[in-house]
Amino acid sequence: MGDWRTSSGIPLKNHYGPEDVPDAYRELSAKGPGEPPFLRGSYPEMYRAQPWRIFQLSGFGNPKDENERIRFLLANGSTGFILEHDRNTADHLYDVDHPDVVARREDVGLTGAVTFSIRDYETILDQIPLESTYGHPGGGVVQHGPFALANYWTVARRRGIELSRLRGTGQSDFFLTYLGCITKQQVPATVGLRFNLDIIEFCTEHMPLWVPVSIAGYNGADTGLNAYQELGALFANAVEYLDGVAKRGRFSVDELARGIGGVNFRGSMDLFEDIAKIRASRKMWHDLLRERYRVTDEKALRLRIHTLTAGSAMTYQQPLNNIARGTIMGLAGVLAGTQSLGISGYDEALSIPSEHAHQMSVRIQAILQHETGIRAVADPFGGSYFMESLTAEVEERAWAFFDEIQDQGGFIASLDSGWLHRKAAENQIDEAQRVASGEKVVVGVNEFTDDLAPFEIGAFEHVSDAWEGAMERLKTIRRERDQRRATETLRELERACRGDGNIMVPMMEAVDAEVTMGEVGAVLRDVFGDWDVPIQF
Amino acid sequence: MARSPKVLVAKTGLDGHWRGVLVVASTLRDAGFEVIMLGMANADEIVASAVQEDVDIVGLNVGGRIEVVERIIDRLRNEGVAAPVMAGGTIAPQWQERLQGLGVELFPPGSALKDIVTTARRLAGGRERSEL
Repeated sequence: MGDWRTSSGIPLKNHYGPEDVPDAYRELSAKGPGEPPFLRGSYPEMYRAQPWRIFQLSGFGNPKDENERIRFLLANGSTGFILEHDRNTADHLYDVDHPDVVARREDVGLTGAVTFSIRDYETILDQIPLESTYGHPGGGVVQHGPFALANYWTVARRRGIELSRLRGTGQSDFFLTYLGCITKQQVPATVGLRFNLDIIEFCTEHMPLWVPVSIAGYNGADTGLNAYQELGALFANAVEYLDGVAKRGRFSVDELARGIGGVNFRGSMDLFEDIAKIRASRKMWHDLLRERYRVTDEKALRLRIHTLTAGSAMTYQQPLNNIARGTIMGLAGVLAGTQSLGISGYDEALSIPSEHAHQMSVRIQAILQHETGIRAVADPFGGSYFMESLTAEVEERAWAFFDEIQDQGGFIASLDSGWLHRKAAENQIDEAQRVASGEKVVVGVNEFTDDLAPFEIGAFEHVSDAWEGAMERLKTIRRERDQRRATETLRELERACRGDGNIMVPMMEAVDAEVTMGEVGAVLRDVFGDWDVPIQF
Repeated sequence: MARSPKVLVAKTGLDGHWRGVLVVASTLRDAGFEVIMLGMANADEIVASAVQEDVDIVGLNVGGRIEVVERIIDRLRNEGVAAPVMAGGTIAPQWQERLQGLGVELFPPGSALKDIVTTARRLAGGRERSEL
């Protein structure tokens, strides 16, 4: 018979019956979607009223390359866009003449366009109607978030669009920054929390339609956290924000909670467990807000979810197989009721997506939306003995992990101490060993490994002049801008950093004065220093 | 006196994807290697560390373009570091031959951990001071 388990280790029976569904879940599954606690969906009509957003990451090379790719995707069915910035420069807030960048200048532009000033953002966003398109300015890494948001918002403002009408989402994700993609230099996590609270408060005051920051459980999960750990850690992160704003006392949790309830999950190859995870997340968010914070605003109680398919599930070998994987992982998100979806390129393990791979990702989404009939019925798994049982089990384990994090002193403490890193690493090693032993089959990698010629594709290589182009633009902006205004706004930014003013106000002024990303980074490094990375090796 | 063979492990780029390199480093350590984890490092830093630590193998986690890897290998050889180079990460299929031509042992995503260990033992054994 064998020992069947979900990827996070939950035992599975051959089949399920009424006795497997806890009473509470039996009652909940009799409610409709859009009814609290939203187990069955955040909205009553789900995809009949509005299909999920087709929301792909995109960017490479020079700003004009990124602009062309985004417009290509929008013309091919994307209904929003996510800017990808060059990680060398953006994640570290370096300009392209920083010695660490110069030392590997050929890498520049490989993972996103180099965007170090308002001029670059104007190029990237050229001809894209920001008033009617849902945008994500990038800024996944916490210290980059305020700069990316300020630039995007300033481009909109210069076009005469009121910030209060702008729709989109920030990111500033702790999982990416302090767990999944640790950079060479980063502001300490406690400072990152301050930045995020500043963004949340700024949006609460000026931008009610904008999701200020988006907690991306994805980045925890693709670093090793299993499904229930991803959930537990995500809500532990949310609690840091909610407690943080409550402590500041400027806004009530009721006013702010809605902005925090835009989150991001990983879709993996464990189809059923992922559906259970996303279903459980809506109930958990509702219960957390109701019970811990007494939130009554119904809009806030509805969790809005973006799902991104797992990059780590995409294989280097036989890459066209990844088209099937992207479809399956995306399907899980849709069956669970995600509000928006990104499907990784089939060349994910080789490079950032080629135009063809990118088009394939949006085509898969179009096929799911238009050919399958999937939009007709909300929460199709609702009431399934198996799914309700699994959802209840995932929820129970997620709260237990949430409590473990609280016992560690909270989410940020669990990052500062390396506790969460160790949890993720245990799973990473375990999974690698199961693949090595053949216990976990990965098609084309450890089984079915004949790599026939038609499977072969090359890695996408972007234009090779991204660093040179950025150096030119850097010289030009330093020559042409109003130097005095740039210096003054930087000084204001530094003053806000050293005090307790909202960092977004001077950041908006600074980017409007054509201050560069490296100059902002220098201020932050000077004021806040560096996070002490807790991974011992 | 035999000692554990030493592997220097470095990330060539400033991209922060650590999962692969941490799994490989931990596997090598469990297999009896002494792992010097340099983290994100440029050519000069890698050469300096390889010389100072007198390592048996230089392990590179590649997340960027081939020119950056070639610069590191050039610098190593110019400074007289003879340690063989192993590289893993998102290595574009079209670059494999060029890197292999420089004597680099390649382990793209999906490579078997036991193959990495076997190759590391062979390369370290070539320097004749290992008990492995």
